[in-house]
Amino acid sequence: MTEEQDKRTERTAIEALSSEARLSYKVEVTDKDGRVVQCEEGPSHSYVRQWNEILHLQAAAIYIGGGGTVKMTDGSTESNAYYSVRSFASNAGIGVDRSGLRVGKDSTPVSINDYALGAPIAQGTGLDQLEHQLTYFTAPSVVGSTLSFTMQRSFVNHSGAAISGIQEIGNYIEFTGSMLGRVALGFRDVLVSSFSIPDGGAITVTYTLKVIA
Amino acid sequence: MNRGLWYKVIVRDRDGKVLSCENRGSRSMLGNWYRILYAHMASTSTSLVHTSGNSWGVINFGDNWKFVAAANEDYIGIVIGTGIAAVTIDDYKLDSQIMQGTGSGQMRHLASTPGWPSVAGSSCDFLASRTFLNNSGGPITVRESGIYCRVKGPTYYGYACIVRDILATPQDVPDGGSITIDYTLRITA
Repeated sequence: MTEEQDKRTERTAIEALSSEARLSYKVEVTDKDGRVVQCEEGPSHSYVRQWNEILHLQAAAIYIGGGGTVKMTDGSTESNAYYSVRSFASNAGIGVDRSGLRVGKDSTPVSINDYALGAPIAQGTGLDQLEHQLTYFTAPSVVGSTLSFTMQRSFVNHSGAAISGIQEIGNYIEFTGSMLGRVALGFRDVLVSSFSIPDGGAITVTYTLKVIA
Repeated sequence: MNRGLWYKVIVRDRDGKVLSCENRGSRSMLGNWYRILYAHMASTSTSLVHTSGNSWGVINFGDNWKFVAAANEDYIGIVIGTGIAAVTIDDYKLDSQIMQGTGSGQMRHLASTPGWPSVAGSSCDFLASRTFLNNSGGPITVRESGIYCRVKGPTYYGYACIVRDILATPQDVPDGGSITIDYTLRITA
């Protein structure tokens, strides 16, 4: 068995044994009349390193000056990150595109070191812009041995033309550093299909976070 | 699946010789982990049963998820027990926890600090480890492990059980020996 086969075998074993925590997504495009014109569902493969780094801030109770380092969505690095009430916050309001669920046009495969969407769509009604609605959540619910909750956000196209080439989705999560609110990429997915949003239509992204005991 | 939790158990005798080692995927991230996550992501509160058995809930708060533990603390950090009850999604404590001490059925809890996440290839690992010493005067069989973390409800502070595992093989820790539990949370892109 080659070293590469060894790694594949090990990874398969690990994945098979530790499959209790699952993240999945659904993407749906509707036209101006609310009819579904395109849809895709699938398992997410895309937590990135900042997720574990912010979890570490919490678990180890990294305080101000503790050296917590997290790369932000603007590409700069916060080297005074610490545990906070804002860690993982994703409940972005209407018109807010600095945090919460985002969509973009890049199709570069996900890397563990990704720190932002490759080509995120900005808030607005101009060319290639989308109006960002509230990122909202359903409360956790237990069914049998499974607990799950969802987060969802719609983006409305009032740009005057179709917006095509939507190929990535992800979540920008908040954390705290240097006494300021910061934002990092938590997870990112590249879609199987390229999505096109007609003028007056919308794209809705739903992530389901699930754990099975 | 790109995110997994697994555990490693190492038992040593009084001379440090490894007697047993078990390395398996954890199937037991509990509902409480996701309840805390929800409270933070949505900046809200939700129901949660603390290790005390009180339904004090959880609200987004700075101390949540803290499981760095000092020596002798058996109410936070990685914990172990002798229980064998099957894991359920709403477990809020170990079935039968081994408490801090040197009396019969007790073990000394050493300090535990989660390590900095490390990236290798396409993975990012977050490791937490804790060692327990058996100075009770007799052997102790460990059958379960888990993680207790700090949590705050809208009114009261407390602790929440966020991980629980039944060990595949009960681990006999001889008098004078030790058991070390490693939990690794791995993200793979």
